[in-house]
Amino acid sequence: MNKNFDRYAGVLFLAVAAFFIIESQKINTASYGSSVGPNIFPLGIGILLGILSLRLIYETFNYQKDEMEKEKLNYKRFGIILGSAVLYCLFLEDVGYAITTFLFLVIGFQAMKRGKLLASIAISASFSLGVFYIFDKLLNVPLPSSSSWLGIL
Amino acid sequence: MNTFDFLMQGFAVAFQWQNILFAFAGVLIGTAVGVLPGIGPMNGVALLLPVTASLTAGLSPENAAASALILLAGIYYGAMYGGSTTSILLNTPGESASVMTTLDGYQMAKNGRAGAALAISAIGSFVAGIVALFGLILLAKPLSLIAIRFGPAEYFALMVLGLLAVSGLVGKSMTKALMMMMLGLALGTVGIDAVSGSARFTFDIPVLYSGLAFLTIAVGLFALGEVFKTTLEKDSTDAPIAKITRVMPTKQDMKDSAFPIARSSVLGFFIGVLPGAGATIASSFSYVMEKKISKNPEKFGKGAIEGVAAPETANNAAAGGALIPLLTLGIPGSGTTAIMMGAFIMYNIQPGPLLFQNHPNVVWGLIASMFVGNLMLLVLNMPLVKVFAKLIDTPVKYLMPLIIAFSVFGVYAVQFTTFDLMLLLVAGVFGYFLSKNDFPLPPLVLALVLGPMLENNLMRALTLSNGDYMIFFEKPLAAIFLVIAGLWLAVPLFLKNKSNKIKKALVEN
Repeated sequence: MNKNFDRYAGVLFLAVAAFFIIESQKINTASYGSSVGPNIFPLGIGILLGILSLRLIYETFNYQKDEMEKEKLNYKRFGIILGSAVLYCLFLEDVGYAITTFLFLVIGFQAMKRGKLLASIAISASFSLGVFYIFDKLLNVPLPSSSSWLGIL
Repeated sequence: MNTFDFLMQGFAVAFQWQNILFAFAGVLIGTAVGVLPGIGPMNGVALLLPVTASLTAGLSPENAAASALILLAGIYYGAMYGGSTTSILLNTPGESASVMTTLDGYQMAKNGRAGAALAISAIGSFVAGIVALFGLILLAKPLSLIAIRFGPAEYFALMVLGLLAVSGLVGKSMTKALMMMMLGLALGTVGIDAVSGSARFTFDIPVLYSGLAFLTIAVGLFALGEVFKTTLEKDSTDAPIAKITRVMPTKQDMKDSAFPIARSSVLGFFIGVLPGAGATIASSFSYVMEKKISKNPEKFGKGAIEGVAAPETANNAAAGGALIPLLTLGIPGSGTTAIMMGAFIMYNIQPGPLLFQNHPNVVWGLIASMFVGNLMLLVLNMPLVKVFAKLIDTPVKYLMPLIIAFSVFGVYAVQFTTFDLMLLLVAGVFGYFLSKNDFPLPPLVLALVLGPMLENNLMRALTLSNGDYMIFFEKPLAAIFLVIAGLWLAVPLFLKNKSNKIKKALVEN
């Protein structure tokens, strides 16, 4: 049990609950033919979530000593992978599926473990081109392509 | 038409060439997914759910739904089986349902009997699949006939029971499980309300009008969450993999495991039917039961073949049993079946009592394909055990980025928006941190998929009663469901308090 995480999570969820409670005030309180409106359900959920969050915060005070053994987390690797995934998703539509997927995979493989660059490039190229051709060309699932500025793929 | 005719009709659907192909692909991919490090049944089904949508795009809606579900069901029980391979060869269970298998499975592998252990779990899984199939055929119709009489109040109460049952059983802290459930329900309200048509929590952002896509969140939480966990925590595993020599079990092995397999498949099936109980509990129950009734219980834990046969059979039987509440009541009892329910809804098919009337081809086709799929699983696995075992060596280096790329592709191919891709990544990060800190994810996914229906039934019941909440207690069945749901929460708390008091008393003495 991680006391700090749970306490922050409790506060965060309390905020989420407050958000749903406050925002549900702006929804209609009745609908045609019924005395109950579409605000009831989110309001109720918000209140219950709030109560549970308070309960969690209360529980953290009773936790036994914080016995989280510190593990070494590979933040650098995670950061590179997540960062490149975000860029990949942002540029997917504009730059095209095949190119962004290829770049993301090469960076991802190398971030996981350095070395074997040729193998990384080969696997990335075959995955990105393979998926693009099978789905876009054969199965007619349109994937963003960069034909507008590259003329291919 | 009676059940038999429907079943025959189902076989006609299952034997269409594309469905045989889908069943084959499903069990093959499923087994591979189960064996691959870091992905279990739930991740596998979530990861491949969007792809099924693209694969079946050319078929008519009804056929597309049948094919997609046949594929997903194949992945589900294929992965259940595949999970046993790593337990036996590596002593690392792929998912919680095969933890019990490691106890005797790894010992057998150490004694050079890995092949026999793998083979007996393939046979056990096959028998379990067949028993579950018969259970499904026998129970599905009567249950849906009862459920068809349910009004909105009964449905609401039953869904509450289903949700609380799952939340009460997973994870270490019930508070956290319930919070996850509420979060799932809350996220499900975003978008245009189906009953009144008013926009909720959308802030005039167009992409939010259709709500947060279940598929995106499920793939993010389960598939990406696992990837982020691996990139942050693990470096490649260097554990030695046991060698496989002889694959066929001996006659003595078969004799020893015949009864455990028979008992565990029935036990596992019935545990699987209960909402929330599922494969993990089924496998540990059956292991404990076999140890209890065994003539020489000291063998267990030292490589007894019964200790592999029983839990492996039970968890597959439970996987089959878990389909019953999904198909007949429209209430999934586990994370994986919740994702399968997402697939039904994606094809505009509402699981529940009317499913058997409105879409007999889909549901009986699915049931019949389970027979075909299980047969394929057996035929495929006996000769291919060694090939699948090689997959364990797949370098994590390549697997993790590929899973991300595959999730991105899958979500984009169905949703076509950058917003969903961002939501996918956010869900992945949240999935990692939440599950790492014992916030269980299945209640969230289950609540997300059930939320809209839960609300719909609540609103209809309240409209009937003119806003009087007592309607849930005036209908006897609804009241019973709610009381059981209440007890489900209260009893564990009561027991915990009591055991705390006993502990205190012991300390004071």
